[in-house]
Amino acid sequence: MKGFYILGGYPDMKKFEEVFKYLAEKADFVEVGLAYNDPVADGPVIAEAASKVVKSNIKIDDILKIVEAYKKSKVYIMTYANIFYQYGLMEFSQKYGKLINGVIVADLPNRMHGFFYDNGFDIPIIPFVTPESREEDIEGLKGTKADFIYFVGVRGVTGSNVNFLDDELVEKVKFVKKMTSKKVVFGFGIKTKNDTEKVMTYADGFVIGTEAVKRQTDTTQFKRFINSIIE
Amino acid sequence: MKGFYGEFGGQFVAETLIPVLDELDKSFELLKCDKDFNDKLNDLLKNYAGRPTPIYYAENMSKKYGCKVYFKREDLLHTGAHKINNSLGQALSAKKMGKKRIIAETGAGQHGVATATVAALLNLKCTVYMGSIDAKRQSMNVKRMKMLGAEVKVVDEGTKTLKDAVSAALRDWVSSCNTTHYVLGSALGPYPFPKIVSHFQSVIGKESREYFENLGIMPDYIIACVGGGSNAIGMFKGFLDVESVRLVGVEAGGISDKDGEHAARMSFGKKGIFQGSLSYVLTDKSGQISNVHSVSAGLDYAGVGPEHSFLKEIKRCEYHYARDKEALDGCLELCKLEGILPALESSHAVGYFIKNASKFKDKTILINLSGRGDKDLEIILENMEGAI
Repeated sequence: MKGFYILGGYPDMKKFEEVFKYLAEKADFVEVGLAYNDPVADGPVIAEAASKVVKSNIKIDDILKIVEAYKKSKVYIMTYANIFYQYGLMEFSQKYGKLINGVIVADLPNRMHGFFYDNGFDIPIIPFVTPESREEDIEGLKGTKADFIYFVGVRGVTGSNVNFLDDELVEKVKFVKKMTSKKVVFGFGIKTKNDTEKVMTYADGFVIGTEAVKRQTDTTQFKRFINSIIE
Repeated sequence: MKGFYGEFGGQFVAETLIPVLDELDKSFELLKCDKDFNDKLNDLLKNYAGRPTPIYYAENMSKKYGCKVYFKREDLLHTGAHKINNSLGQALSAKKMGKKRIIAETGAGQHGVATATVAALLNLKCTVYMGSIDAKRQSMNVKRMKMLGAEVKVVDEGTKTLKDAVSAALRDWVSSCNTTHYVLGSALGPYPFPKIVSHFQSVIGKESREYFENLGIMPDYIIACVGGGSNAIGMFKGFLDVESVRLVGVEAGGISDKDGEHAARMSFGKKGIFQGSLSYVLTDKSGQISNVHSVSAGLDYAGVGPEHSFLKEIKRCEYHYARDKEALDGCLELCKLEGILPALESSHAVGYFIKNASKFKDKTILINLSGRGDKDLEIILENMEGAI
């Protein structure tokens, strides 16, 4: 499962449309970020890009119109809890539940999924596992209706450095797969083809964010980068 | 649901922090009943911080406004504000949990100074995050924190105030939670922080309750300023069960009702999820956190502690706001009538009282002076040219 994160509406709607269309044809899945002005899980590249999108006042519905127009691969929406909460948890579900395959909410830990579901949200929420996750936390994910489990490989924000072949990390991912029988996608810190090759020796997939967002302003460079990873 | 006050609260943070929040909760529940821990904390509160703080009957002010006005003097504490109660408690807990480093966020600098102070005392490494606008308007406190051996990281992102200092501290904590404790400075953030901070601040309410019980009366009103809400919740905790006491939280009304020109979450905000919990928040309908303004750096914050939202919802506390000008007038009035220079945060409580003095006629009022105003002198002088 080869996935890429791009930021909705960045640097403008035209370029976003072009990169989304390209990814929808090439990648196994696309994560579309909805900008938030208090992005505590994001490193400087995504945080700065998000700040520009917020200033340009782009609407969520406009971003999802593009998703609807070009969607070919699976699409997950990644953002923060307040974005969904203010939109209306039930309203978002009813409007986009059939279009998108799941959501990734950076500040919604697994134990808080119930809060969303109890308030009318019925799109699958992708659960997180981290190097800190305890056995009982992982066991609790067995019944998830999400397509995969998102393994946050670093203690830190997006764009951080990781040793992808660290024994503890590799063992943890293998343990999660065994315990939950779900696919595990590795996120945070992946920058190059070499990184993805290392990760794919033990995970079922990866997602690249910061390096993709960096190139969203230049679509030629963006496409070249995607090709360098996928081909 | 655990960690909620009614519908408010919760743990809206990165999954990485969940085990550390659980560890913190478990450790706190043990420590708060631990005799050695409490003996050590009480000794430091008494002999280092200067507790109990007095309650002062303000004769001149009482005479002028036709009521009985008392002040709880948290401003007399070491480092100049109630913040030291919480910093001492949390830093001692961190030490017990084997952490070597503490981090903190600060707006006006009072919490940063208190945390830097206890870090020096307890030999812990300390980093304090502060927005660049706040660092500029509270430059003396920046210098003070550095003198105390803390590293001050100035945050030049977003609104460059308290919100972004909290975000930066959260980012640091996600990367360093194995070795570092985050001394969150107000009764907000993810559970168990609201519970921990209100516990360490509840000493304010306990002492006040004891004082009035000894007098054989109860105040009719208690007034406290509300930024994140730690001094207010600490005070209110002592009186929640006394129905006759009306509890009033005063927020920063800034310069107008317009979005971005105030920090009155209870009056103009709505329910939202921000920096760890569900509470009243100043947010737009697309989910972005609004800009805020207050003459006081300590009240300049888009969110509020979840327990306050709950107390508003069940109508146990009422929340109002004072404008910048009313707070500045309150500050000057207290200086002139009683010889006390209050912090601009506390001045909002005083300003609200003065503006509504007729409502308090013949009543007994207790105002929490959460901190002293030395740190705000430059801002006061800038804003009150001609009045002084």
